[in-house]
Amino acid sequence: PGCLFQQESEVFEITDFTTASEWERFVSRVEEVLNDWKLTGNSGSYTSGTWCEKSQDINFADFKFYITHHFLKDECEQDEGTDTPKEDVLPLAMQDLLCMNNDFPPRAHCLVRWYGLREFVVISPGTNCEAIISESKCNLLLSSVSISLANCGSQVPMFVQIQQKWRRMYAGECQGSGVRTDFEIVQLRKVPSQYNHLSGLLDIFKSKIGCTLFPLPPVNIAIRFTYILQDWQQYSWPQQPPDFDTLLGGEVGGVEFGKLPFGACEEPISELHLATTWPYLTEGIVVDNDVYSDLDPLQAPHWSVRVKTAENPQCLLGEFLMEFFKLCCKKESTEEVLGRGLSEEEGKENSDISSALSKLTEPTATVPITKLSVSNMVHTARKHIRRHRRIDESPLNTDVLNSVLLYLFPDAAVEKSSENIKSKTNLFLQLKSAPSDSLTYRLALCVCLVNYNYGGPRAVAHLWQEFVLELRYRLENNYLIYGLAGGPPDLRCCLLHQKLQMLNCCIERKRARDEVRKTLDSNKDRELKVSGGSQNSRQAPESAASTTTSQGKSWDSWSDSEDEFFECLSDQGEIEAPQTDGGKDVSKSKAEGRLHPYNNMTLLNSTEPLYVPVTQEPAPMTEDLLEEQSEVLAKLGTSAEGTHLRARMQSACLLSDMESFKAANPGCVLEDFVRWYSPRDYVEEEVVDEKGNTVVKGELSPRMKIPGNMWVEAWETARVTPARRQRRLFDDTKEAEKVLHYLAMQKPADVACHLLPCMIHAAILKLKEEESVEDIPSVKKNIQQTISQASKLLHPPNRDYKKLEVSDNCAQIFTGKSLMWFVSSLLEEPEVAVIGAGQGPAGSIIHRLFINSQRAALLAPMDEDLGPDRKLPGRSSKVADFPPPAGREILLRTCVPRPAPYSKALPQRLFCVMMRDEFRLAGAFSTDTSFF
Amino acid sequence: MEDDILTTLKILIIGESGVGKSSLLLRFTDDTFDPEQSATIGVDFKVKTISVDGNKAKLAIWDTAGQERFRTLTPSYYRGAQGVILVYDVTRRETFTKLDNWLNELETYCTRNDLVKMLVGNKIDKENHELDRAEGLKFARKHSMLFIEASAKTRDGVQCAFEELVEKIIQTPGLWQSENHGRAVQLTDEDAGGGTCGGYCSLV
Repeated sequence: PGCLFQQESEVFEITDFTTASEWERFVSRVEEVLNDWKLTGNSGSYTSGTWCEKSQDINFADFKFYITHHFLKDECEQDEGTDTPKEDVLPLAMQDLLCMNNDFPPRAHCLVRWYGLREFVVISPGTNCEAIISESKCNLLLSSVSISLANCGSQVPMFVQIQQKWRRMYAGECQGSGVRTDFEIVQLRKVPSQYNHLSGLLDIFKSKIGCTLFPLPPVNIAIRFTYILQDWQQYSWPQQPPDFDTLLGGEVGGVEFGKLPFGACEEPISELHLATTWPYLTEGIVVDNDVYSDLDPLQAPHWSVRVKTAENPQCLLGEFLMEFFKLCCKKESTEEVLGRGLSEEEGKENSDISSALSKLTEPTATVPITKLSVSNMVHTARKHIRRHRRIDESPLNTDVLNSVLLYLFPDAAVEKSSENIKSKTNLFLQLKSAPSDSLTYRLALCVCLVNYNYGGPRAVAHLWQEFVLELRYRLENNYLIYGLAGGPPDLRCCLLHQKLQMLNCCIERKRARDEVRKTLDSNKDRELKVSGGSQNSRQAPESAASTTTSQGKSWDSWSDSEDEFFECLSDQGEIEAPQTDGGKDVSKSKAEGRLHPYNNMTLLNSTEPLYVPVTQEPAPMTEDLLEEQSEVLAKLGTSAEGTHLRARMQSACLLSDMESFKAANPGCVLEDFVRWYSPRDYVEEEVVDEKGNTVVKGELSPRMKIPGNMWVEAWETARVTPARRQRRLFDDTKEAEKVLHYLAMQKPADVACHLLPCMIHAAILKLKEEESVEDIPSVKKNIQQTISQASKLLHPPNRDYKKLEVSDNCAQIFTGKSLMWFVSSLLEEPEVAVIGAGQGPAGSIIHRLFINSQRAALLAPMDEDLGPDRKLPGRSSKVADFPPPAGREILLRTCVPRPAPYSKALPQRLFCVMMRDEFRLAGAFSTDTSFF
Repeated sequence: MEDDILTTLKILIIGESGVGKSSLLLRFTDDTFDPEQSATIGVDFKVKTISVDGNKAKLAIWDTAGQERFRTLTPSYYRGAQGVILVYDVTRRETFTKLDNWLNELETYCTRNDLVKMLVGNKIDKENHELDRAEGLKFARKHSMLFIEASAKTRDGVQCAFEELVEKIIQTPGLWQSENHGRAVQLTDEDAGGGTCGGYCSLV
């Protein structure tokens, strides 16, 4: 909220602090929440939507509760007119108690299962708060609820969770006009034998209702038995893990390196649940007591099945990712992994902050060129590896290595590189990985595959060494690295990708420089004195430079012995005022490095147009360099000196621009420069001169006139030097070496960590691809969820986050997800109805599964040719076809007057659950409160 | 007193050249005004600890140069910022019309898209306003930013601008809290939460 709106909300907050006791406060808080949620009065209409919940904290003195509103989401617009409850209509919840549409929901909140509700509110103790166990506390809570509901006129049923959480005990209440329903629950560990059947439960129900009417209206009954099939041993899982040797054995093409495997290695379904349901029974039609039962599952009119997926099935994609993750956690250095020291020829780390600082504070100081003989080094490295290979088996077999390298560096396609890299999706931005067609991404796939199939960390270390050697080879030979977007490093991608882009920047500049040199050499050979025109043929680092219109100077003076200058061209003879060949137009011929005229302006002290100079491009930066640099800048502190030093450190670029400007505009003054560079700081005013004419008079802004300010100072220091003869702002030779050194120093685990975002990216794409074939909405949703989660994990606010933890999570995500694909529609629908129940074709297959499983369990011979009519269903054979039901649910309901025979007839309901270790009765009993 | 600092926040100040970015910062950090504030070169940096709603936050504020030419340099420092103050000069319409460019720049170079943006119309002490408050408000609403008019010279609105920004950032925990305490995505639908039935479970 902006400052404007603050007052209102403050006033709003004050009013509620006047309520007196803790208890009253609690009640008023509950009311407040009900009001907030607009749960006053009657609401809602029949819907078939998804469940939603809203939750908030609510305190009773110091004790924290959660209050949660569960509701079936309305598909149609909420009807505004339902705010005032109609006198004669029962609250929705009471109607729901009798409604048969919502019986045995496949997956629902237990209160929905027990009471058939579509909307309710639950108050439960906060996390780490003890349970409400004492009876007086329970009653206090319930009466609070009761008062709140009455005060708000809310007809939503409200529950309080009591006893230990695992017992799932709730007490609750629902109020309508003149009616009330109380919700009560009984929960025991063992089923009492007298209630272990329908007739016993009917007895409880009737006695609880306590209705004296005779004859009692019949009780409606719905029953569901659930059977579990666990034993799948006799069926082998059809999908074998792909055979990777044949995969690559026949055709050692790079193609397969771009793909991740997918699929489960073992049966992903651990249990099959069969639910047999009798939805509409009436008392007296069916018999179920301690000696006899009509309830034969085969005869149940409705069958449905659901599957339970294995906890942690082995899946290919998940396995690959787990292995990759394990690689991330390895601590061994490359040397330890590969054996002998292979990286000794690389110097020690030189990228610490102090060296960066010294470089920054002396921006114009000569940076010593690293005198590294690149070819020498490559040579020794290769020899090392070869010798190593002779001693023991090469970690990665040559064929595989070659096909990986071919896949990573498809040389033939180099030319079309940078242009085509435009990813369709921006997933890589979310994950901070790299575009899916980039070298970095492909490298991740290769490392993952090599790690899993071709020798683990050793092979990865080997591949990485070869990879870095290849990069060095490319730098040395001016071959751009294929598969990277051009331009400066994209800070939205992972660091490794940025480093590779940085290397490409260096190669690009080096190549441009070498090309200029080549042109010059050939020109020199022909001993031609060239002027002007021939300059167009040279390839400048920036395309802009090629439009230079300046007159050339004598090419003789170019020398290729030095590396230090922007275009690698030193120029010993002529400084500041070169002698030109023609020498006719002095001012014009003096100008160098012009880009184009600027807005038809002319210099203040001459009639010459003001030219925009060719300038040096700022140095490309990777995020670690940036961080280093901003750390250095920040370390200078906030004092005036610090500020000054900071400005000085950053003035290299300004100074270079000034020098270029001076070269392009002979005779210019600071005012000219400011007019181009910071137009705001050249103030023009119309003044009337002594002759009475209005003339425009301009001057520098006050801040530019401050004596000794950095701009003036820089201007005075700036020499007349075109960009191409200036010292390079970006020392690509050094930067390239730094990148290669950095890469060479990475341990296999570091490499894997660098590539982890790409790996996750790849896995998500794979899942998307699989999903698009099968089209499973829930998987689609999960993928979205995974993306956002992964994006959060991979975009840490700070860099020292727990990488391991993060990747662990990610690995789990994928193990979990790859199995989803296999359970197809069974997973999509929580429960699938079996057409024809026990008598249909699907039903008989399921029946047979159960019979076989039963036989196997009792070591009875398998009956393979079981025909549909050869055996009588049910209990005729010695071994029961079905195991004892894992759960029995019996739902009893009726509509009778309570508490007196002349009261209104109201819904009564009892839901009974009988399982191996749980017996639960959930009752909802309504009473007419009009006259009581 | 480093102990009771809730968090360190990175704040950026951007906008056209000469709108008073450095002056706003100086007013906020040192409560002074220098009419002869020299033009910033590259980026500058100041620190201030402030207390909002009883939470102490250390602000690392990066002031940037507004000149076109520096824009190849300064965006590299946008990385990781949690808040940005976008400044225009109420007496110069062109500084307002260029705001769209600055927003684009932010979008391109910022590493997070949930950073809090505040629009500040500076120099309201001057008389020849070319922009009224309503225009600033409209722009801010359109781009979901905070908005305030201020004067670094008279100190109107300066403190409030920074405080509001920080408050908003603190209210967006994802911006400043590292969420690295492993929460994996729950993919299985069965809620195994010890029978609390907080979620939705099936019978068995």
